[in-house]
Amino acid sequence: MGAPEGLGIEARGVSRRFGPVQALRGLDLTVPYGQVTALVGPNGAGKTTLLLILATLLRPGEGRVRVAGHDVRADPGAARRALGWMPDTFGVYDQLTVQEYLEFFADAYGLAKEARARRIRALLTLVHLDEQPGQPVHALSRGQKQRLGVARALVHRPRVLLLDEPASGLDPRSRVELRDLLRSLAADGVAVLVSSHILSELEEIADRVVLVDHGRTVGEHAMADLAEAAVARVRWRIRSLDRERLAEALTMAIDDLPGLDPGLGPVRELPGGAEVGPLTETEAAGLLAALVTRGVPVTGLAPAGSALESAYLAMTETRR
Amino acid sequence: MTARGAALVARQEIRTRLRTGRWRVLLAVWFAVVNGLALLFRLALEADSTSRYGSPGVPMFGGVLLAVLVLTLLITPALSAQSINGDRERGTLATLQVTPLAPGDIAFGKLAASWGTGLVVLLLTVPSLLWPVAEGAIGPMRAVAVLLVTALLIGVVCAVSQGWSALLARSITSVLLSYLTVFALIVGTPLLFTIAVPITSEQGVDGYDNDRTDRIWWLLAPNPVVILADAAPSLPKRRIIIDEGAGSGGHRVDYYEAPPNDPLGSISRGVRRLRLDDGHYRPSYAERSDGPPVWPFGLAFDLVLGAGAVWVSASRLRTPLYRVPKGVRIA
Repeated sequence: MGAPEGLGIEARGVSRRFGPVQALRGLDLTVPYGQVTALVGPNGAGKTTLLLILATLLRPGEGRVRVAGHDVRADPGAARRALGWMPDTFGVYDQLTVQEYLEFFADAYGLAKEARARRIRALLTLVHLDEQPGQPVHALSRGQKQRLGVARALVHRPRVLLLDEPASGLDPRSRVELRDLLRSLAADGVAVLVSSHILSELEEIADRVVLVDHGRTVGEHAMADLAEAAVARVRWRIRSLDRERLAEALTMAIDDLPGLDPGLGPVRELPGGAEVGPLTETEAAGLLAALVTRGVPVTGLAPAGSALESAYLAMTETRR
Repeated sequence: MTARGAALVARQEIRTRLRTGRWRVLLAVWFAVVNGLALLFRLALEADSTSRYGSPGVPMFGGVLLAVLVLTLLITPALSAQSINGDRERGTLATLQVTPLAPGDIAFGKLAASWGTGLVVLLLTVPSLLWPVAEGAIGPMRAVAVLLVTALLIGVVCAVSQGWSALLARSITSVLLSYLTVFALIVGTPLLFTIAVPITSEQGVDGYDNDRTDRIWWLLAPNPVVILADAAPSLPKRRIIIDEGAGSGGHRVDYYEAPPNDPLGSISRGVRRLRLDDGHYRPSYAERSDGPPVWPFGLAFDLVLGAGAVWVSASRLRTPLYRVPKGVRIA
């Protein structure tokens, strides 16, 4: 299935005020079909406000927001039929079974009876709940409830999917499954927007990342560009058999490395090693060579954070 | 808004409700208590033989009906005073609002569910109301009329309670205000009326105060008890002929008397008479005539109140929201 024309989500200059609090100040966002876009930002950056606006629950103050080509202000109904939304916290009707819960939402979206049964079976398989159709919702684990929420959001085959912190509370296995699910939806041409704090995870899920802070877009990158960028100075973890010798060598290595302009950065002691940086890959290689010539028994040198994490940290640094 | 959407929401509401509480036990207790009390009331009426004429079925019907009305109206706020803000607190409202269901679907669906539950509660009291009908003391039309009016009043209280739950963020506040609304209708209206009587009274030419209840009778009209009693078709009056002494010099009185011991009838006559400005003239019992009916005004007022509350709850469910009320969680 190919990606439809246009953009899944197109938001331009969105602002929103709650009384004296300016939650969004002219935020821009594009989410293309067939890709997973990550929405990243510190707490209070306006992510949830933005998602509520995209979900047609909250009216934007200013700016233009189109979901699947429909203006959320002029035609929220059309936008609603095209979008699936999973909030960060949501309630389920505890008294219903998994099957009844999904049937209710299938009816709310007006699915035909025969299509409904087929769709629910497919959804239960998709989110790995096919063994619990008759189980009451309140008996589900947190991860299973989260997956049920994803199934609910997908019941009407939305072309745009919004997920607010979907991975919170999921065990590692469920996270991997969620990742695979989102990737396969994107492969089917769905525009997926995921907000999350778990950066290492987004790196594997997302094709693009939109960084927001203080209600504004501060960066919009393709994940591939971010990884390649030479600016990607990250912190490095050095493991050694002899911590004391490593620490001693690190204090001296600064003088020995002419290419290391800003220095090693703050050196942090770790069990079995140390963390230094941010350094580029070239600098890190030079550092390793210097340590080895000094006879430090180095067993490992690896980047401590990811490119996304360093972009995120660089952006939020301004706060401090 | 579609009937299908409202029916879907109503079905969902009823299903989740039926599975939460101990409804069967509660309804069984209600059935036993109401009908048990009615039976005891009947026994008391039978034991009291002062009733001049007519069957004890008449006071039984009126007494039980008024008790049922007040009791059901006290139960009703519990059925719908948390239906919207409770869903918000549980986090199930927003997922409903992002579906194509219209705000009217949600509002009417929820109203239908709580009203339906209220009607089941009313239905369980029917055995003791049908007894006087079965023995012929009360005409079937009177029974049908009062049940219809009671059903409408339950609907009004459901709608108003739901309106509070849409307006207020916390469910405890909306429950409280719903009970206060019922209290204001049942107790507040006569209280206000009593206060208004001396304020509006005029001094007559003879120096005595002349109560002008014809100007303030409408204060009592929204009272559910007044509406129900006044809307009940009145029982046939009995012709009383007193003929003292035969021949031309005799004293003859011929009048119609309403049956005594009819609580509904006496309330109805009482409020209708308030609409007449009879000044100081205190007519004798036989000459008294009833004033025009009060219940159409009261019922219309309450129905407008209920309709307004439904409109408020539907408009409070409309998204996208611009002004977010204080303390309201959208999702």
